[in-house]
Amino acid sequence: MKRILLFSFLLTATIFASAQTVDEIISKHLDAIGGVDAWRKVTSIRQEGNMMVQGAEVKVVRTVLHNKGSRQDISLAGMNGYSIMTPVAGWNFMPFQGQMQPEPLTEEDIKEGQPELDAQDELIDYKEKGSSVELVGKDDVEGTECFKLILTFKSGKAETLFIDPKSFHIIRQVAKQKANGQEMEVTTSFSNYQKLPEGIVVAMSMTLPFGELNMTKVEVNKPVDESIFKLAK
Amino acid sequence: MKKLLKIITSSLLFLTGTIISFQVKAQTQINSSTFGMMEARWLGPGTMSGRITAIEGVASDGKTIYVGTAGGGIWKTTNAGSSFTPIFDKYCQSIGAIAIDPKNPKIIYTGTGESNMRNSVSIGNGMYKSTDGGDNWTKIGLENSEHIAKIVISPINTSIVYVAVPGPLWNSSKDRGLYKSSDGGKTFEKILYINEDAGCGDVSIDPQHPDTVYASTWEFRRKPYAFNSGGNGSGMWKSTDGGKNWKELKTGLPPKPFGRIAFAVAPSAPQNLVAIVEANETGLYISADGGENWKKQGATMNVVSRPFYFAAIQIDPTDPKRVYRPGFTFSYSTDGGHSFADASGEGGWLHSDEHALWINPKNTSQLYVGTDGGVYVSLDKGATWNFIQCLPVGQFYHVGLDNKKPYNIYGGLQDNGSWVGPSAAPGAITNASWKSINGGDGFWVQPDPLNPDVAYAESQGGEINRINLINGKGIGIKPQQAPGEEKLRWNWNTPIVFGAANKKNLYTSCQYLYKTNDQGRNWVRISPDLTTNNKDKQKQEDSGGLSADNTSAENHCTIFTIAESPLDEKMIWAGTDDGNLQYTLDAGKTWTNVAANYARAGIPAQTWVSSIELSLFDKKVVYATFDNHMYGDHKTYAARSTDMGKTWTMFKSAEFTGFAHKIKEDTRNKDLLFLGSEMGLFATLDGGQNWFRMKNKIPEYVLARDIQIHPVTHDLVIATHGRGIIIIDDISPMRSMKKEIAEKEVVLFPAQPLTLTMGQFGGGGFPVTSGWVAPNPVSIPPVKYYLKDRVNSGDVKVDIYDAAGKLVQSIPGSKRKGINFVSWNLRMKPPKIATGGTKLDFSAFLAPMVLPGDYTIKLTVGDSVYTTPLKVVHDISNKDFTLEDRKLQFKTAMDLYKAHEQLAAVVDTINVKQKLIKDNIDKVTDSTLKRTMRAYNDELEKLRAESLGTKQKSIFADEKKLREEITDVYAAVSGQEAAPSNLQVQRVTFLQSEVKAKEQVNQQILKKYDQVITEGLKKEGLIPGGPKKGF
Repeated sequence: MKRILLFSFLLTATIFASAQTVDEIISKHLDAIGGVDAWRKVTSIRQEGNMMVQGAEVKVVRTVLHNKGSRQDISLAGMNGYSIMTPVAGWNFMPFQGQMQPEPLTEEDIKEGQPELDAQDELIDYKEKGSSVELVGKDDVEGTECFKLILTFKSGKAETLFIDPKSFHIIRQVAKQKANGQEMEVTTSFSNYQKLPEGIVVAMSMTLPFGELNMTKVEVNKPVDESIFKLAK
Repeated sequence: MKKLLKIITSSLLFLTGTIISFQVKAQTQINSSTFGMMEARWLGPGTMSGRITAIEGVASDGKTIYVGTAGGGIWKTTNAGSSFTPIFDKYCQSIGAIAIDPKNPKIIYTGTGESNMRNSVSIGNGMYKSTDGGDNWTKIGLENSEHIAKIVISPINTSIVYVAVPGPLWNSSKDRGLYKSSDGGKTFEKILYINEDAGCGDVSIDPQHPDTVYASTWEFRRKPYAFNSGGNGSGMWKSTDGGKNWKELKTGLPPKPFGRIAFAVAPSAPQNLVAIVEANETGLYISADGGENWKKQGATMNVVSRPFYFAAIQIDPTDPKRVYRPGFTFSYSTDGGHSFADASGEGGWLHSDEHALWINPKNTSQLYVGTDGGVYVSLDKGATWNFIQCLPVGQFYHVGLDNKKPYNIYGGLQDNGSWVGPSAAPGAITNASWKSINGGDGFWVQPDPLNPDVAYAESQGGEINRINLINGKGIGIKPQQAPGEEKLRWNWNTPIVFGAANKKNLYTSCQYLYKTNDQGRNWVRISPDLTTNNKDKQKQEDSGGLSADNTSAENHCTIFTIAESPLDEKMIWAGTDDGNLQYTLDAGKTWTNVAANYARAGIPAQTWVSSIELSLFDKKVVYATFDNHMYGDHKTYAARSTDMGKTWTMFKSAEFTGFAHKIKEDTRNKDLLFLGSEMGLFATLDGGQNWFRMKNKIPEYVLARDIQIHPVTHDLVIATHGRGIIIIDDISPMRSMKKEIAEKEVVLFPAQPLTLTMGQFGGGGFPVTSGWVAPNPVSIPPVKYYLKDRVNSGDVKVDIYDAAGKLVQSIPGSKRKGINFVSWNLRMKPPKIATGGTKLDFSAFLAPMVLPGDYTIKLTVGDSVYTTPLKVVHDISNKDFTLEDRKLQFKTAMDLYKAHEQLAAVVDTINVKQKLIKDNIDKVTDSTLKRTMRAYNDELEKLRAESLGTKQKSIFADEKKLREEITDVYAAVSGQEAAPSNLQVQRVTFLQSEVKAKEQVNQQILKKYDQVITEGLKKEGLIPGGPKKGF
């Protein structure tokens, strides 16, 4: 009798485990990163971090004013570059690649780059933001069997998210980016999730194709001077 | 009631918690993820590529093309073939057919299991579908089909999909037939079925009337020793109601029986059809009335040759008169099939044996053909062809390794001869690194262990050559029939094996075993016929069915595998394709057959012995693999005997898939075994009790035909039949992994002494312009540590300290589950260099290499710290770079390092002062102060502009100032394995004096302006007060 009970139970448990819907997974994920309420209060975020490239330190600052502007500053060996995105315009200036002055982004780049203006987690109110999510199934990420979701933004651009079923954190993101007319995959792994005083939980470490970016400071809802989203004169 | 239910649920949940936690604890199993970053290198190459079975492109862009292969999965290009990505690495690697939804090109159907039914063809496990252009796949049915020839999607209602299933090659099956799905692959219905021995070989629909469906059925069968194509089950069929009712088409076709029928409907005039009908007189037939009446055409040999293997024929999408016949060569007709011409050789050879063709419907001059040797593209309707060199899908049978540094890899490939290529090469391993050394189909290739300039290679049926690797000349050394002997029976894939105990011994075999110890100049037969010599299995002259086909592929009753004990050269084992397993203990005088013994372990009697492995650790221990797939049994049979074959224990694992090709014992750890099968590579760390599938960049169902371990580098080298050569560098972590280690949260492995080197090759050179490029192994052994689980919270880093406890370098650590590697480049942190300027200065990325000595590795994982000592030693193998040279190099580099940092301090000061001036000058009201500030700024700028390049006129016109002058010497000295020259050392003194001079000028400027400006700004209230605060 006991065996039957156990078997029935395990069967039930299996059904429960396999029947997780997209909404349930996302709901657990949002709880794991501090909850919807905490994230909805985020109006700006500023992250400072650094990474080592061949022993040299690269400093990165990302500033997002919710739905108004996003800017990333990169400093390497005394050279400074940046990329700016606003709802209507955007620029790139990467002197490390030999660029001598900022170049404006194309209309398509701006359209596809709009998710960058989201200071909140991209899965917060994703339906209201015009995005959709599909649960593809489970997939192995370096030995961790993860939920595999495809997040499609309003622009049509999509990225694949891998959610660790234990922590419900996103541990990997695979985004398709266009470069020189070709689509290429960019894989980013996330780790070292930490809770901030504002209640939200963010990844303090990101592994990019060329190295690991470690956050040294994250500021939430601090005033942001909107002039940084314009080209310096 | 609800409350009670809640209590029960809670109790159960508690129980579940117990069960789950128990399971988690018990599940600390060693598997592929345990080895984390030990990932495979794909050597390819792409120069000979491999058999291509399906090509489909997206009509709307003409650049997105999917290529299905015989044993390498599916590869996708989005740039018309400049580069490809594998998109099917988690599934069965044998691809039969691909189809793209004409209305939504993101929807792709794939049928696994190619249908070019040669002796070495691999099976599939059903249909798959992707709805996102191949990123994700779902299995949708027909699991037992084994081979799928074609998939056709209705252009009007794309939910209607037809699938032609020839079905199993080696046994009867009810799964054969033509299947139809009307719901986009959710369900399939069998709509045309003949019998258990005749499947569906081809299908097409009339694009203008998609309910009109044509199909050909095909009766065929292979046995281990014979092939038959043809029978009454073969026929040509037509339905006009979407497959509900069928009519056999006969009028004008030759008398039955038929064999395989390949046919095509003209897309632009679909009442026109062409068909190649295998029959007693195989011919090309055309119909102009929807198949009701057929007329035979004169056809070239190429058009009608080997119909069981060449089953492709197509008609141009817009020109019904232009017919393409990819076959032994590439033929095309411009008159509807009345006459054919062959592709020109202008521009290069087009590989023979062609199976797939895609014609871009929007640009019908653009063709892609799939051959036994890769994909070619034509831009002139098939007249001339260009080879696509970046598909590493070669079908190796065996692999051999030499002892050169870096070592070379030797192997023979299906329809692509024998090749040798390096395991590492300057820059990277490219197609050009590989050299062809023998023709035909290639199988065994063995480097001579005692003569680095000689190798042995063969073509099918034991045509062995001794090859001079310097000039490429080959000498035939195949043993010949002696008086009184039966006709020699050579396997298609005849073994060529060197002695493991005595490297002079070279063995080969037909039904007899031969040995030579003078490179094949003189052979000695050392066995009687070791096979069953069953005459019923020796009628290869009759093989082929309607079309005779006797290529030695069906030769049977032969010795297939040979092994000399590494512990005793007189102990030799031989396994045959008809299931005998025999050994001698006296170098061939007497033989003992243990075939009956392995059968008692549950392995089917008289099963093909695919490999024998004799233990390095115990003379009585023998491993063998057995392959019964030619009797329709695809199970994995591998076994061990510890008593010289008297008794056998079969290895069992739920992980196993595919029939077994090869078992390999590690050279250091007797409990570490590798098993290669038709559908995967497996390993065990506990002598075969528990096995796991090897992943980590190895396709999960890879066709792993042969496995070798290099004795010096400890690399695992795998000959795959569809993904070229795959290497897992240095398997030492697998040797040392134990369950006790795997259960620890973190393990920092002891570090072997590191030799100070900048790698085995110089850098630079011309970039690779095209083709497959394989990376080199790491040149400096990495720091290795194990993480039981992926680290999601907390940081991981590796710090290197010198003997004095000073931090030399800090490196971010990877956090993945299993073994992690972190590379330390044996250098310090790069210097802080003067900031600013017009371009990145290389010195910011370059640090001097450390000196030999004792160091400590400190691994931090979250709050825990682990340390292990590390010895760094001078490279004594480099005679041009003594320890004294190294010390002088280090001193010189450090002098320049300091010079950079001193100059950086000067420029930092300038930058701070200039920023203050810039921030305040517009706010200053006192005109004298303003003027002084401008003068101050000018002098600072002058000094800055002398310290580093601040102007750039063009990409090749940078200024060279002091920073760049220092870098010139610093980069040269730090970046080479040599003592600095006298002039380099002399230059350091000059540069140091220049830096000193800049420091002095800086002090003078400060002295001249600093106090004045400080006082002035204070007075204006622009900086905080305080008598001596300054700025």
